[in-house]
Amino acid sequence: MASNGLMYDGCNFFRQRLVLSTLSGKNVKIKNIRSRDDEPGLRDFEASFIRLLDKVTNGSRIEINQTGTVLFYQPGLLYGGSVEHDCNPQRSVGYYLEALLMLAPFMKTPLKATLRGVTNDPTDPTVDLLKSTAVPLMKKFGIDGEAFDLKVVKRGMAPGGGGEVVFTCPVHKTIRPVQLIEPGKIKRIRGVAYSVRVSPQMGNRIVESARSILNQFLPDIYIYTDHMKGANSGKSPGFGLTLVAETLNGCFLSAEMSSTPQGQGDPVLPEDLGRNCAKLLLEEVYRGGCVDSSNQSLALLLMTLGQQDVSKVLLGPLSPYTIEFLRHIRDFFQVMFKVEVQKPLDDERKGGDKVLMTCVGVGYSNISKTVK
Amino acid sequence: MSYRIKQIIFCLQVLMLIDASFGFEMETFEFLNICQVHGFPRIMGVLTHLDSFKNNKSLRKTKKNLKHRFWTEVYQGAKLFYLSGMVYGEYQTQEVKNLGRFISVMKFRPLVWQTSHPYVLVDRMEDLTDPEKVRTDPKCDRTVSLYGYLRGAHLKNKGQVHVPGVGDFQVSDVNFLPDPCPLPDAQKKRALNEKERLLYAPMAGVGGVVYDKDAVYIDLPASHVNQLQEEVHPTTELVQSLIETHATLDTKMAASKVSLFSGSATLDPADISKQTREREGLEEECVWDPTTQRERRKVIFTEKEEEDDVSGESDTEEDDSEGSDQADDEDELSQVEADRKAKAAGGAPPEKKQRVEAEAGRTESSAEMPAFADSEDDLEMSEEEGDAGTPGDSGHSSEEEDDPTEYECGATEDLWKKHPERECEEEEQGSLRWKEGLQQRAAEAFLRQQETAPNLRKLVYGSVVEVQESQEEEEELGGLFRVSRPQKSKKVQANAPDCSRFKPDNRHNWDVEEMLDSIRDCFVTGKWEEGQDAATLLRQDEELYGDFEDLETGEVHMSQTENAEDHDDEEEEIQVKMDDEEVQKNKRLEKKRRLKERFDTEYDDDDDATYFDDLKEEMQKQAELNRAAFQDMDDESRVQYEGFRPGMYIRVEICSLPCEFVKNFDPHYPIILGGLGSSEGNIGFLQMRLKKHRWYNRILKTKDPLIFSLGWRRFQTIPLYHIEDHNGRHRLLKYTPQHMHCGASIWGPITPQGSGFLAVQSVTGSKATFRIAATGVVLDLDKSVTIVKKLKLIGYPFKIFKNTCFVKGMFNTVLEVAKFEGASVRTVSGIRGQIKKALSSPTGAFRATFEDRLLMSDIVFLRSWYPVSVPQLYNPVTSLLLPAGQKDSWSGMRTLGQLKHDLGIRNQPKADSLYKPIVRAKRHFNPLHVPKELQKALPFKSKPKQQQPKGRTPRDLQRPSVIREPHERKVAALLHALSTVHNYTRKKAHTVQHAKHKEFLQQKEKDEEAKLKRQREAKKKLYRVMGQMDQKKQRSSLKGATKDD
Repeated sequence: MASNGLMYDGCNFFRQRLVLSTLSGKNVKIKNIRSRDDEPGLRDFEASFIRLLDKVTNGSRIEINQTGTVLFYQPGLLYGGSVEHDCNPQRSVGYYLEALLMLAPFMKTPLKATLRGVTNDPTDPTVDLLKSTAVPLMKKFGIDGEAFDLKVVKRGMAPGGGGEVVFTCPVHKTIRPVQLIEPGKIKRIRGVAYSVRVSPQMGNRIVESARSILNQFLPDIYIYTDHMKGANSGKSPGFGLTLVAETLNGCFLSAEMSSTPQGQGDPVLPEDLGRNCAKLLLEEVYRGGCVDSSNQSLALLLMTLGQQDVSKVLLGPLSPYTIEFLRHIRDFFQVMFKVEVQKPLDDERKGGDKVLMTCVGVGYSNISKTVK
Repeated sequence: MSYRIKQIIFCLQVLMLIDASFGFEMETFEFLNICQVHGFPRIMGVLTHLDSFKNNKSLRKTKKNLKHRFWTEVYQGAKLFYLSGMVYGEYQTQEVKNLGRFISVMKFRPLVWQTSHPYVLVDRMEDLTDPEKVRTDPKCDRTVSLYGYLRGAHLKNKGQVHVPGVGDFQVSDVNFLPDPCPLPDAQKKRALNEKERLLYAPMAGVGGVVYDKDAVYIDLPASHVNQLQEEVHPTTELVQSLIETHATLDTKMAASKVSLFSGSATLDPADISKQTREREGLEEECVWDPTTQRERRKVIFTEKEEEDDVSGESDTEEDDSEGSDQADDEDELSQVEADRKAKAAGGAPPEKKQRVEAEAGRTESSAEMPAFADSEDDLEMSEEEGDAGTPGDSGHSSEEEDDPTEYECGATEDLWKKHPERECEEEEQGSLRWKEGLQQRAAEAFLRQQETAPNLRKLVYGSVVEVQESQEEEEELGGLFRVSRPQKSKKVQANAPDCSRFKPDNRHNWDVEEMLDSIRDCFVTGKWEEGQDAATLLRQDEELYGDFEDLETGEVHMSQTENAEDHDDEEEEIQVKMDDEEVQKNKRLEKKRRLKERFDTEYDDDDDATYFDDLKEEMQKQAELNRAAFQDMDDESRVQYEGFRPGMYIRVEICSLPCEFVKNFDPHYPIILGGLGSSEGNIGFLQMRLKKHRWYNRILKTKDPLIFSLGWRRFQTIPLYHIEDHNGRHRLLKYTPQHMHCGASIWGPITPQGSGFLAVQSVTGSKATFRIAATGVVLDLDKSVTIVKKLKLIGYPFKIFKNTCFVKGMFNTVLEVAKFEGASVRTVSGIRGQIKKALSSPTGAFRATFEDRLLMSDIVFLRSWYPVSVPQLYNPVTSLLLPAGQKDSWSGMRTLGQLKHDLGIRNQPKADSLYKPIVRAKRHFNPLHVPKELQKALPFKSKPKQQQPKGRTPRDLQRPSVIREPHERKVAALLHALSTVHNYTRKKAHTVQHAKHKEFLQQKEKDEEAKLKRQREAKKKLYRVMGQMDQKKQRSSLKGATKDD
């Protein structure tokens, strides 16, 4: 009764494939992982991700060939519970957390994951971003309760790491369908300017410059400065900014920027960083939609896993990652989304084209959860 | 047996025929029990044989009894229909009609399993396997297409299905066909007219001509065949020759000649073959998957043998559409063309050809290229096909594509008219021609795509499918080494870093004012829509809730408009007074209404109802949304988004079915396709709550194989029974409890929690003793189990100190002891202790401390728990694969008991387990000895009594007996007589006295009563007088008062 597996090439979209495989119960085989590269095979951070997956599941089978270029994954059942994981500092905790957010509601026991490593780096969505956008997004799908929380205990900047994040999520049997069609107008902008192992003034400098741009649109801007000291400040110096725009309908759009890791590239001035980050937020607002660009795939996944009901969500332009994710959803769940481009009206000044995604959920239910 | 009923159970509304003259049968109850487990389907009881009751009263009584028994088993108020009896061996028409109406209006609550899983009761089966493959390997896996109405939930293409009795399969393709038995257009009619009366039966021919992708059926009634055999009519010539043929089709085809029109020259097979070869050559060139095309044509050849024995009619086969064209008259030609168009969409009975024709244009593209049905233009389509190589034959890929083809066909229209089969060829040529400018057009399309917004749908699902380019050319050095070089763009993308962040392009310069302006309306500070403008909203608000009264201060706030009005009023008070009153009145009414509303909302709704109501409303809203979301789309694209809707007639193609499925196909046995959820195809450990069924006459033994019916599946597996201890430990049970639930763990298919199941011991044959063995529900799914059984390790003390003791015989090595250091032990006598440390001298011995001193005769034991593994047996019941007639005889693994019984093995019991006569030694108890000192100190009550008899009185205490003198004796006798007389008289006097006293008491009581009565009357009289006086007094006082007033 072996359920047929799926076959993929290359290491890109590695997490998507493993996550969807775990949720759908289909085997997956990934071939040619960096097979032509100078260093072929899986990287340390991917191995670390597989280890994390192994920790939260029960009965998964993972086979990797000698060179690490072929991976076979037979998913087990999601188990959850208390998990501690030292994430590889090559990628930030966000890399692992993004996948964990997708899996967490479908565990057998409520998840309490303690992830250690790099909390903020320029490549991946940082923990602050996920906390301020992904968590409220998931709440819209009916995943909440006081146990649903993401907490930054220690901050660790890019090369060294040393940060710690605690993510807790209750178990849910089913996911509610959503109709996120109207994003509403942005009522306020919040943000966190963080700095560790640098002058505490950095935060203020960032805030100042970011406000200079954003104040053209909105007076209600508040950017917290978060300067962590001592044991909570990780191993490397650095600073950064996360901006979140909240709309009247409770949608969150976000942008962020981190300083370049120590010893990698030119250092950035906090003023530049603040300004650029504010521009990034404007870009995000221009793209628009009810879900910001880095969480598109999470929203689409939760729509897919809903009841057999129609869900709708308005997105900005689809990112390449999301496009691939849609294809993967079709492979794993046979769900296709209706994609409708909504062009802005002539007199409207609301940014670029929007995309209305419509799908019918697969009627997924949490098969791991125990009934008494 | 119930086993067969089980297959039907999921699909149909069930009518239970109950012979009222007999009463309920065991089978009825068994069936109801099966239903209870899987959720009640649509059950309605039908009582028959009611005419066998001669007595009206007994009839009524029986009806009532049966009804109530039925209700207890099904639910209160379950429908029971009475068929009064047969007239001339038939049920009365009116009653049957009524029954039909009853069935159609029955309402039931939806079943969870069936609303969450799609399923199809198959009503037609076609074998599509390449006959050549079957010839070379008769046991090769078969490709089969199955037809039926989809029920339950939406079915996704390429999903997994379970065929009960066969196994799990991957669906290779699903497409929908026009309903073979559609509803009449107009509703609300009591009866159908003759034209609308359609008959459609599963696994049966529908008569006439059926023509679709998989097969062609032409129904020739037997009489018709015989009649026309002599006069060789061109219409039936070919068909006849095919019926009679015994040679292979190839040779037959080579020999046959076809004339397209009566009177025209016959067409040589040679030139047909030339054309077809040409065509096939073309297909191989341009079609991505040539098998689909060939299959469609070939299948028609292959069907012959199967069709004949399946439907048992005088079905004949047609080689191709050409054949049927030839057979038909000219005026029917257009009809056949329509058929040909519809062939992709599948078979439509001849009655509905008109309809099909109308739809043909639409359906044509459906089955072939559903993925791009709503594509925007053919150019982009062609581009996709060119590089993506999407499946489907090029000629039919989409609606739009046909246009250029048809245009090209127009040039050779006269030719086309002559040769109907040309159409196809032309199309193919057209398609080829259209491929010529492919590159150029692709370039154009690309440019256009750059300019306009890209069709996102295609971007996502269509054109960017990885090109199936084979290995990149590999340069070899000396035949040994491969040159590894940086990869091309595509491969690079495949190995690009995995990051979800969407890097912004640099198109937007956010320093420019126009750019900033472009998003100004996204903020609350920007311009609002007409309806949502703050000013408008405020105004509306004010109108609604403008004036209110502050209850604390008593201040009345009025809305501004009202205030303004008031001011106005003051100015023009006099003129508009009348109007003002009117207004005021209205206002008051309005206010009253609002107050009432508020009161209603506060007090009317009770809390428990609101949550439920909210939920219901929400569900209704969602259902509305679900309906509306894809309503205006055509079915082809709709099925891609939401899957195939329940109610559609679909064709499911399954590859790699075992050959026995086709070989041993028996239409008497229903075939069900049950759709599976996303991870329901996997296998793992299931933990269930199980209860032995109350009619099963024995308890179930752990590790005896049992056949489960769970979800769609029926399988044999080996359950372990267990019970949960108070600390959450799952303790293994050897047998199920008699009347209690217990846990069961099996290795089986992952099925959502909460699904019910039932288990039987065997499904072989039909026995009178057949009973459902157990029922239950799935609780938990996992990939591992934790069931433990108790293990007691025994040791013996060999040296005893005060509270410390050396124990041997429990373990064999020091290591084993080390593992159990600190474990608690106990003796049989109940003294508790702890393992301390291993001893060196006898290996495996250890030192242990106890709460008291042990005896050498004590036995020390250690209670431990040992994990048990669940045997991983999953054996699906493959009853449909058995040869016809033996389908009921599936037998799986036998239980240990059955094996022993069958093989005649009897266990040699252990000698010490045998019963022996019990010989008990006579027990001897010493007398209780209480010391003298103690005896003295005891109170008299507790002192040991002298229980022994007195013994002989000593001589000195013995008294001599008295012997009377004769006189003394006389005196004594007289005295005795006198006393007797005295006694007698005294007794007599006493009785008399007693009677007298009694009389006296009675008299006294009577007197007393009379006295009381007298007193009562006197009192009454007195009170009456007093009352009258009182009244008088009162009256007089009242009178006096009024006078005073």
